Amino acid sequence: MKNLVTEEEIAHVAKLMKINLEDHSDHVKRVQKMLEYFDILDRANVESEEITVQETDLDKLRDDKHVPYDKNLLKFLNSYQEKYVKAPKLN
Amino acid sequence: MDLGISALNYVNGIKNNEFTVEEFTLKSLERISQVDEKLHAFLRVNDLAIKNAREIDTKIKSNQNVGKCYGMPISIKDNICIEGSKTTCASKVLENFIAPYTSTVISKLNSEDAIIIGKTNLDEFAMGLSTEFSAYGPSRNPWNTDYVPGGSSGGSGVSVSANECIASLGSDTGGSIRNPASFCSVVGLKPTYGLVSRYGLVSYANSIEQIGPMAKTVKDSAFLLNIISGIDSNDNTTVDNKNQDYLTDIDAGINGKKIGIVTEMTNPDGLSTDVLDATNDAIKTFEKLGANCEQVSLEMVRYAVAAYYTITSTEAGSNLARYDNIRYGYEFDSSGFEFNSYISQARSKFGPEVIRRMILGGFVPSAGHAGKYFSKALKVKSKLIAEIKHVFEKFDYLISPTVPIQPFKFGEKINDPVSFMMVDFNTVTANLTGIPAISVPYKITNGLPIGIQIMANHEEEHSLLQAAYALEKTVDLPEVPV
Repeated sequence: MKNLVTEEEIAHVAKLMKINLEDHSDHVKRVQKMLEYFDILDRANVESEEITVQETDLDKLRDDKHVPYDKNLLKFLNSYQEKYVKAPKLN
Repeated sequence: MDLGISALNYVNGIKNNEFTVEEFTLKSLERISQVDEKLHAFLRVNDLAIKNAREIDTKIKSNQNVGKCYGMPISIKDNICIEGSKTTCASKVLENFIAPYTSTVISKLNSEDAIIIGKTNLDEFAMGLSTEFSAYGPSRNPWNTDYVPGGSSGGSGVSVSANECIASLGSDTGGSIRNPASFCSVVGLKPTYGLVSRYGLVSYANSIEQIGPMAKTVKDSAFLLNIISGIDSNDNTTVDNKNQDYLTDIDAGINGKKIGIVTEMTNPDGLSTDVLDATNDAIKTFEKLGANCEQVSLEMVRYAVAAYYTITSTEAGSNLARYDNIRYGYEFDSSGFEFNSYISQARSKFGPEVIRRMILGGFVPSAGHAGKYFSKALKVKSKLIAEIKHVFEKFDYLISPTVPIQPFKFGEKINDPVSFMMVDFNTVTANLTGIPAISVPYKITNGLPIGIQIMANHEEEHSLLQAAYALEKTVDLPEVPV
């Protein structure tokens, strides 16, 4: 029983990722093939497993102290004004 | 002067006045200009290398303190930042990106007087296993230039194998150090997650990736690990290894050790005949060295590739969101654009594999699909960690061939995404579980290398390197034909 992910679903996600698929039309089929392979996860029988996460002890974290940064990173940017990054218009 | 010497022999050569740092650096740069047009290991060489070499020579002559590296030329994968110089990740998106700070591993190498000889090629943003996805063209395997060198740290593997430098640093998210190490016949070590600081490594899938050494010998790998490992306040995932010396007792041998042959990774259906033969041969070698080898099954390995690609794509989708042409890229002006179209235009500079992983990375954790893909992948990862923990109660090491096949020809696999993913089959488990793994050159068959992978439990690099050294000592391989 193959439950193939449709091209429309992939195109929708691409749009959300701000990827213009017109530039990348042959990718949809490949993404489909990879997703089809991922179906193997259904056979792993892991539904009842707990998801473990990586833990870091609080005492291992560095102090919550302001460390001054004296390099002017903005100078690397093309569009900025005083100390603000200039971004395109939001509609 | 032999450019093919190990790091440890280089240090001896300098100490015994056999050559100067400047002479060796010059010779290495000459070698690069001779062979790299063909091999394309390097994206850039360091213009200051000779100047740095002279400075170190001066320090040596005037009996000042000199760092452990004594000016040895080391190449660096181009996803590791060095302040004031380009770090492109082999992507057009970062074509003009100048790193504003230096990674911890580079600071450590600099403080030990290494010379960064250049930045090496990789698959764009380290996504791939052949360097065919580099935006600047692939690197070529020095054993046979019709074949891929492996990846993603392919340039690093080639640069060491072809004697363009003494050693290199790569990064390994799913095999990206070990795969090119195996394909180019060098030693490649993926350390325990957290043993080496990732500060200054451009993130792809930061929950599982590590920086590690690629070198000519196992001892050289231990030497470099001594320098680059250790806790770092700039990377909260790092662990304190108490300045462990990985070279001490490296020749202790493996007599009486228990080795598990991972059944899923040595399945004859998945391996090429030559790789299977080499693996069986290596098992016999381990037994001759006094180890007890037996089969062990890790059921979750079967699902590891799918889990790996699901998890890494998800992290890549998030990590690569920052390349929006506002903070990085900055090629065209933001005025006259609407936000979404501006970002998607910026994204069009990504290469095909990066685009695919970003789409996948948007898809597999999204509402309605996360249950089928992302959560299941995380559960496979958890169960795999439990299985690994369990087997290391009984075994000291796990072994497999590093890659199920030998190097393949350019273009041979690029159009089949699933067979491409399968090349990672034996390497992703160490990343998903955080354990250390090393690829040791074992055989040259049909003129192309085969590496054997050894894995050990968390933070057992010391013991892992002992096993790797024991295996290496049994091997006598021909010189690279370039």
